[in-house]
Amino acid sequence: MRLLHSFIPSLLLSSAYVVSAASSWSFEDATLTVQSKGAGVGAGAKEKLSPSTPLSKPVALGSTDSLKMLLTTTNGKKARQPHQAFLTLTDPTTGLEESFVLSVKESGRGKVDLTQKDLPIQFLTSSKPIVASIVIGSFGSSTPYKSKVFDLSVTRDPNVPLAIPAKPIRYAVEPEIHHIFRTDPRSPPKIITLVFAAVVFGALPALFGVWATLGANVNHLSKALSNAPVSHALFFGSILAMEGIFFMYYTSWNLFQTLPAAAVVASVAFLSGSRALSEVQERRLAGLR
Amino acid sequence: MRWLSSFLLLVLLGVAQALSSSGRKLLVVLEEAAEKERFGGFFGDLEARGFHLTFESPKSTSLSLLKHGERAYDHLLLLPAKSKGLGPALTANQLLEFMKKEGNILLTLSGDHATPTAVQSLLLELDIHLPSDRTSLVVDHFNYDGESAKDKHDVLLVPYPKASRPDVKNYFSGEGVIAVPRAVGQTLGNESPLLAPILRAPSTAYSYNPKDEADIVEDPFAVGEQLNLVSTLQAHNSARLTILGSAEMLQDAWFEAMASLNGKAVKTANRDFVAKVSEWAFKETGVLRVGKMVHYLNEGTGKKSNSSAALPQNNPKIYRIKNDVSFQVPISEYSHTHWTPFTPPPSDSVQLEFSMLSPFHRLPLSPLSQTANSTLYGVSFKTPDQHGIFNFRINYRRPFLTNVEVKEQVTVRHFAHDEWPRSWQISGAWVWIAGIWVTVAGWVGFVAIWLYSSPAVGAAKKTQ
Repeated sequence: MRLLHSFIPSLLLSSAYVVSAASSWSFEDATLTVQSKGAGVGAGAKEKLSPSTPLSKPVALGSTDSLKMLLTTTNGKKARQPHQAFLTLTDPTTGLEESFVLSVKESGRGKVDLTQKDLPIQFLTSSKPIVASIVIGSFGSSTPYKSKVFDLSVTRDPNVPLAIPAKPIRYAVEPEIHHIFRTDPRSPPKIITLVFAAVVFGALPALFGVWATLGANVNHLSKALSNAPVSHALFFGSILAMEGIFFMYYTSWNLFQTLPAAAVVASVAFLSGSRALSEVQERRLAGLR
Repeated sequence: MRWLSSFLLLVLLGVAQALSSSGRKLLVVLEEAAEKERFGGFFGDLEARGFHLTFESPKSTSLSLLKHGERAYDHLLLLPAKSKGLGPALTANQLLEFMKKEGNILLTLSGDHATPTAVQSLLLELDIHLPSDRTSLVVDHFNYDGESAKDKHDVLLVPYPKASRPDVKNYFSGEGVIAVPRAVGQTLGNESPLLAPILRAPSTAYSYNPKDEADIVEDPFAVGEQLNLVSTLQAHNSARLTILGSAEMLQDAWFEAMASLNGKAVKTANRDFVAKVSEWAFKETGVLRVGKMVHYLNEGTGKKSNSSAALPQNNPKIYRIKNDVSFQVPISEYSHTHWTPFTPPPSDSVQLEFSMLSPFHRLPLSPLSQTANSTLYGVSFKTPDQHGIFNFRINYRRPFLTNVEVKEQVTVRHFAHDEWPRSWQISGAWVWIAGIWVTVAGWVGFVAIWLYSSPAVGAAKKTQ
């Protein structure tokens, strides 16, 4: 009856086997030793494994430790040699499995040695303890055995770097790429711009004010207009028109619209200017300047 | 009249039948004609799906996969032969040449016969490994058929495979158990992304050689889920090679056999599973087609339209940097008889790359609309601020789907001289603009005073 009880978890695990008179595979006298490299024989922690209940505490396997498991495989309480005797390690997160073959003699005595070198790299980097289970099965009608026996927590020396191979290419969705644009050119705050623009505009009345205090005036405007009305009007008008052409060029005109207009205005300025400036010279010679 | 109506009926029947997307000529290589009857159900199913089956023996002199440099058949089904080799017409090189011409191969192995060397070297070339002793088979003491393999445990009963990854479509799902009698397990190399397993062995299975005298398995070829019972390779040209570990799966005897798994009576679902595998192998499922790509300038409303064309021109050859561009492409998937709208699994997406040497944008395409046989995918983005020759590129490769790689080249030019913002739109330039106009006004004022000023009253003689 005790035997039957001890099998219940394994039976559940291997999905409801018919508990019949047929014999079942199991193991007995299982010991687990983890030995550090420098320590003497028998110094390591020794645990007894039971086929029905897994060890409550995970077994730690350091980078220099070696794990040794000894057991006797049994078929219906008698020591027998099975065809399949594996220690299967399973990563609980990824489901990755790796099996280690137990070398079982005809007497049923089996053993397996394990160090970190034997483990795939995924087990060394796993954050959760690795589930270790024993699988015993053979041909014929005997019920095979598979049950978790202990948890293996791999402790690594953090100072020793681990050579993790590059991930192989797998066709899958690739990370999105969004082009990072260069930042747009920025302007200083508008208030600063406006203050300085106001200062620049303020220079104009200041200039005219200084000129006015120095005695600048336009008192001879009527005199000049009466002496040479056409040439003065055209000359001053052409200077204003030239500035207007510059304004149009700045806002909308292209060079081919600007150049003919500038040529016309410039020739008007040249012709009328010589007359107007002669009039100015007459005034200077008359001592009116 | 009667012949006409019957002819019409035939034509209609032909339309209603399933057709592979890549041809219907199927060559079955079979050593003994007597074996044909064992596979009668499978061949009948294939014929019902519209394939024209040609049977040849590997020893036949007329057998040739290629004719005038092109493939003579669209698909090839290789059934295991007793002889060691497959003959001069089916060397590894010939089979690869057949795949290079986009021929699909369904290769079956069997634990009963030694695997031919041609097959072994073909698979080795593709990084698929078979047990080196060539007679090994897969056993499992946990999931075997209690009826037919009570002692030998070499008839595995396995459930339908789950999707190998959450972002991969499962074309082989179903209900029930699949019988895999006397299978040759394969292991797949880790490096190649072209390889994909369909059906893995259960975790307690292992491969062993029955001729081995040892009472205990000491150095198994592979164990557990690293053993594949059905595995696939899809080449870069989308030619498919499917390796079926057990040819017996195709036999009538296992189509709907009564089996017992751990004491429970079950019925095998081989007929359905084998149909799904052969549908995939012969390109009746998992085939993608890309329609015409359309891209256009998407300036939206509110932008000044200085061009006469109000509607954006489709597929222009040139764009400017920082243009808003829309891209659309229809994608269809072939399903048994016709093209259907393609939808990737939820965690997967078709991606568009806008690339010059390397991608500047890699954006997921989202479905915009669906027609009866395609889904229209689209995305809008801004061209990068780098001028040059760019490509709109879709490179969609996934396990079990044919490869899609399409691209279209466009030029991306820099801003033209009149496309920059005007100086008054830049607030930082206002101070300088003010300076210019103050200078202009000062000049005009100076000219007026110089021309019309009377002498200053007092000490100063001149204003300048």
